[in-house]
Amino acid sequence: MKTKLIALSSIIAAAVYAADVPPVGSAAPDFSLKDTKGQTHSLSQHKGKYVVLEWFNPECPFVKKHYGSDNMQKLQKEFTGKGVVWLTIDSSSEGAEGYLTADAANKIMSQWKTNMTALLLDPDGVAGKAYGAKNTPDMIVINPEGKIVYEGAIDSKASPNPADIPASTNYVKAALDESLAGKPVSNAQTKPYGCSVKYKSS
Amino acid sequence: MNFETVPLPIPGPMVKVRMIWVRSLIALGLLALAHSTIAQNYQGKELVHATLLADTSAIVPGKPFTAGVLLRVAPGWHTYWKYSGDAGLPTEIKWNLPPGWKVGEIQWPIPLKTNDPGDIQTYGYQDELLLMQEITPPSKIDISPVKLSAQVDWLVCERICIPGNAKLELELPTSTTAEPKNSELFARYRRLVPQNFPDGKTATVNWTRTGNDLLLKITSDQIANYQNIDFFPAPQGNETVVGHPTVTSRSANQVTFKIPIESPDKNVSALPGVIVFSKSPNGNDRTGWELAAEQAAATSNQIAQPSRSLATFLLFGFIGGFILNLMPCVLPVISLKIFGFIKQAGQSRARIFRSGVAFTAGIFVWFMALAILLVALKGAGRDVTWGGFQFTNAYFVLALSVIVLIFALNLFGVFEISLPQSLQRGMLASGDRTDDFGSFFQGVFATVLATPCTAPFLGTALGFAFSQSAVVILAMFAAVAAGMSAPYLLLSAQPAWMRFLPQPGPWMVHVKQFMGFLLIATLLFLLYVLGAQRGLDGAIWASCFLLIVAIACWMKGAFILPTTSGAKRAVVVLLMLLLLLGSGVYFIGDKFQSSKIDIAETSASSGGWQSFTPERLQTERDAGHAVFVDFTAAWCLTCKFNEKAVLETSDVRDAFQRHAVVKLKADWTNGDPQITKLLQQFGRPGVPLYVLYPGKSHEPIVFPELLTKSILLDKLETITVASR
Repeated sequence: MKTKLIALSSIIAAAVYAADVPPVGSAAPDFSLKDTKGQTHSLSQHKGKYVVLEWFNPECPFVKKHYGSDNMQKLQKEFTGKGVVWLTIDSSSEGAEGYLTADAANKIMSQWKTNMTALLLDPDGVAGKAYGAKNTPDMIVINPEGKIVYEGAIDSKASPNPADIPASTNYVKAALDESLAGKPVSNAQTKPYGCSVKYKSS
Repeated sequence: MNFETVPLPIPGPMVKVRMIWVRSLIALGLLALAHSTIAQNYQGKELVHATLLADTSAIVPGKPFTAGVLLRVAPGWHTYWKYSGDAGLPTEIKWNLPPGWKVGEIQWPIPLKTNDPGDIQTYGYQDELLLMQEITPPSKIDISPVKLSAQVDWLVCERICIPGNAKLELELPTSTTAEPKNSELFARYRRLVPQNFPDGKTATVNWTRTGNDLLLKITSDQIANYQNIDFFPAPQGNETVVGHPTVTSRSANQVTFKIPIESPDKNVSALPGVIVFSKSPNGNDRTGWELAAEQAAATSNQIAQPSRSLATFLLFGFIGGFILNLMPCVLPVISLKIFGFIKQAGQSRARIFRSGVAFTAGIFVWFMALAILLVALKGAGRDVTWGGFQFTNAYFVLALSVIVLIFALNLFGVFEISLPQSLQRGMLASGDRTDDFGSFFQGVFATVLATPCTAPFLGTALGFAFSQSAVVILAMFAAVAAGMSAPYLLLSAQPAWMRFLPQPGPWMVHVKQFMGFLLIATLLFLLYVLGAQRGLDGAIWASCFLLIVAIACWMKGAFILPTTSGAKRAVVVLLMLLLLLGSGVYFIGDKFQSSKIDIAETSASSGGWQSFTPERLQTERDAGHAVFVDFTAAWCLTCKFNEKAVLETSDVRDAFQRHAVVKLKADWTNGDPQITKLLQQFGRPGVPLYVLYPGKSHEPIVFPELLTKSILLDKLETITVASR
């Protein structure tokens, strides 16, 4: 009976452990993913630079809110221009909503006139699960030392309505502005909002 | 999407054909009102059908009624609760009412909890949902009918998510009387709305925060009636990021939830939410208790207020005091006292009882003095912990060493303790007063020695007392004192039991001398503590002073006899004082005072133990390592015993190694304030304390103060799987 209980609690504990989100301030887990051009990107190769991770799903209305309004593209342009590496990650599994082949992804990138450094394909959800990403969009900012300095929502108004964008505070912009100015991030963690990431069922 | 199908009664099958909708609405009697219904279509399929309706046929001025937004959703799709969980968005309703009208909060039915791949947990509704709100019209209405309108925004998801919205209108006539409408529908959803949290007799709430986890403990007899109990959190705003609540323990009338707070810098001590009861997860019989924001906040103020009553804690204090007698640090005094009883066995009953009372009084006086000191220090805002302001102070230990030495020399027969004759005479002519004074002093002495031993019960009781008012602290200390003195008082009041004790005789002298050696052993221990605090030099200088004290005692015994003349007596006393003063100034005031110990030297890095710092603990935990912290101090005998008997045995050492547990030693010998703070976080007034942090997001496991191998090994086995 006792062993059973122990086994059971271990399983539960393991399940909980698997869901751990690396907290703000901890080291960002490394990953290695292919982008839409077939090139491999790892986090470690960008050490020394600020890195933004953005979870992406072109079918999700919350993602569309920020791309349809040109909000995301502007943000990408502003900060890649300042030397920030912007990696957009699609963790939708094959067959699920938002899954992209390299070709389809390239098409969307040109149609939407995106400005990210690269769009990485993560159909097995490895990077997504390592970061505990649950939403699209889900935003993470990593500092040059490889520590997470911001994680959470893109902005303060949880809605799919692009009309809400002008009145909301963009947390990612704030985090990057503060970091680049050498200040600590005042709002380092928020509750992300959006669609669920369409992970492969395990 | 793998929503479990919940058989909510739906009139007719859910199909997208509009006609069937209309029919079912007619069946519900909804179309009789001038409401508007709006459908959301997606790829030619109707996803959501929204309708505004009321539970009344007419508006009576000043009389509140309930309006509801009915959302019917295509099979497989769902909308979200007020807290959507890891993804999604709650439905929003904005009313457009004439001036003077009031609208209440949305009465959210208890949602369903769903888990999706990637450990995504959401709270939502499928098939059909009625979101009710109470509307209070003004007491005077000029127009009829009245048009009420509401803007509804929702997010509906299957695998994909589609936002939808509708502007709904409802026209109701104004009248002096009204008939209920849509009664069945409203009644059905009212049953699904959580009830207010019951009063303190039915259920109690207790929030605690341990690291990044909130612990919610609900105590109620209702718990036994349900197989499935859950907590659905409803954090407000987007700055609190909440993980998935889990049930950590459950008994017949108590359930504890652990709710990880993933935004750890935010000072969250409680959360609003709903306690959900059902026979099976997402069961259609689900009922709930609403833990409102004010309530969560109100109960969080009572964190320090344990559910046990004051009386229970006083009882614990009493038992703890009793157990203090068995602690290694008090044992030598016990021997003293038992020896005293043996000596008294031949004396009169009244005299024995008086001695018992004097001993008890000694214990009480010391404890009360401590309590008053604590209250005063607490008032002054100082960090006060049991034993901390005593044994972490080297001068306290030194003073204790002197007292122990004097007692030992007395037992060896080097000198006799007698009060100056004048004082003796003044106190009362009868000679046995000295005896009483001795008993009183022994009582004080026993208690002084007992302070570093936080016996298991005492720990809880004092931990409780420290967060309390002055009166409670005094009561608690009195309870401990009563517990500690109870056996002596009993023995002295019931001399019949002392018949079992042997008769006095010459053997008593031998026993007395032997007891002296026990005190010398105690003295060695105290010197060891001094050594840990002030280094070898400090211990040696202290010993030099002790030697002079011993010589002074010998002088008293050898040269001051009852027959000694006043002049000679004065000379000897003067010499004694000079010696003590001179050595005190030199050995203690100068040498001992300046003995310092290199902190790095004290850090126990042997046997794989590393020095504890809060940063170190955080780093190891962040790295996902399991960490065991041994809160210890050189003067804590129980700690030393646990270390030798459990922590440093080969099987425990192997188990630590096998499970890659990082071992940290938090040395409280000198009362490190950072360690004091952590002890207080665990509600402990002192050491020992053993804590195992299994992994990042797991609740730390606190071990009992008397550690056993089996319990430690057991726990190590359970956590390690989790942290891999």
